[in-house]
Amino acid sequence: MTRLTCPFCGPRELREFEFHKTLPEPGSTPYARVYERVNRLDDSLEHWQHVQGCRGWLLVRRNPSSGAVLETVILGGGAQ
Amino acid sequence: MTGPTPHYSALALLRARLAGGGFWRPLWTGRLLKQAYDVVVVGAGGHGLATAFHLARDHGLKVAVLEKRLVGYGNVGRNTTIVRSNYLLPENHYFYEDSLRRWETLSKDLNYNVMYSPRGVVDLALSDGDMIGAARRGNAMRLAGIDCEMMDRAALDRFCPELVASRDRRFPIFGALVQHRGGTVRHDAVAWGYARAATALGVDIIEDCEVTGLRTAAGVATGVETVKGYVQANRVLFATAGHTGMIGTMLGVTLPIETHLLQAMVTEPIKPMLNTVLVYVHPGHGETYLLQSDKGGLVMGGYLDGFPSYTREGQWSRMEDVVQGAIAMLPQAAGVKIVRQWAGINDMTMDGSPIIDRLRYDNVFLNAGWCYGGFKTIPASGAACAKLVASGTAPDLIKAYRLSRFETGHMLDERGGGPFPVRL
Repeated sequence: MTRLTCPFCGPRELREFEFHKTLPEPGSTPYARVYERVNRLDDSLEHWQHVQGCRGWLLVRRNPSSGAVLETVILGGGAQ
Repeated sequence: MTGPTPHYSALALLRARLAGGGFWRPLWTGRLLKQAYDVVVVGAGGHGLATAFHLARDHGLKVAVLEKRLVGYGNVGRNTTIVRSNYLLPENHYFYEDSLRRWETLSKDLNYNVMYSPRGVVDLALSDGDMIGAARRGNAMRLAGIDCEMMDRAALDRFCPELVASRDRRFPIFGALVQHRGGTVRHDAVAWGYARAATALGVDIIEDCEVTGLRTAAGVATGVETVKGYVQANRVLFATAGHTGMIGTMLGVTLPIETHLLQAMVTEPIKPMLNTVLVYVHPGHGETYLLQSDKGGLVMGGYLDGFPSYTREGQWSRMEDVVQGAIAMLPQAAGVKIVRQWAGINDMTMDGSPIIDRLRYDNVFLNAGWCYGGFKTIPASGAACAKLVASGTAPDLIKAYRLSRFETGHMLDERGGGPFPVRL
């Protein structure tokens, strides 16, 4: 994994992006949302930010065992 | 070729040579899985093996260590071999100092040379603010009776001439906090030494034996399911750094742990040039720690890659940061070629400190969340964790490492960074 494709800016080098955290399980307590993390071998749903690009927030689905990026969606959808 | 583990000494070697017989034996192979144990330890890395060793030696328990792959395949063989106890928070520095004291005598305790080399750890300061931070940490250490020394540029020039601290640089070196008893230990030898010593005490180390489930009855664990069959256990300890999240999933617990890669690399061997361990935190950029191995290669590492991964491959961009830091410290090493690069899978907790506690059941224990500190704490963690597993009560040294601290607000946030493992 060396690149992420920002739906707004296109494929960019990974260092332009910052990983924020994995998404909590639906219905988690406030404590769990802050401190607990879901660790999955094959399917990780994460928030990233394109900090050195459009600064948009992204929803990224990845396989952390292979490094494959399965899906990238821009949050809010207002970037266009 | 099994049999009693021979005691290593020059005399024993000479005797065996004169007698003409074989002296060297396999250190831990050839054990078969029994039906039941007092304690089953999952994971034959540094912490699992050290805990097994202490459970057998200090508490006389019958122990098995089950390992999915090979002894020392994980982070105990992937770190940059640095040991130190220069931490800021009291809960941490007493624990890390206990570990450093144990490193000093470990070769004797295990009858195996782990090559502890107290060559010093030099934390470089690149600004006035860094100097103040270093003094604050140094004072906290001194108050706890841990050695350290603040050095200015001139003292650094005498201590580590190759660094040329007074050289004109883009980010000039102001000074450093030096812990002289810190240094390096040969990491593979730690795994092998503990495995050998534990085997000699009757611990069964079973490789290629993945644990697939935990069997419980009436709210207590009764044993573990493995690919080699069911094993009954009175107590179970999970020491599976990097894959602790999977253990949580197996037990139905979500843990305050995020899984990250930490990479390291080594250059081709060169003549001895660096007599200490250098740590360089580049303002707003990255971190590099650098040392010269006994074979002559410059070993270096830096920050986490920055996002969850189990690939054991490092990011190119992070490798670049690490190398830039190394060249900023030692520009004369810029032409040396990197020959190997690798990564380990780290448990990063939400405060940067480890977790040694019960997990969900009264007789199930967890030794995890070592972040960057796993290797250097192996001897202390093994002894303290064995006490917890054997007696059911955490010794004072690790009371602060309980799992509930996140919920009760007693975090040990050494970095002061909040509940994120990687924010720079």
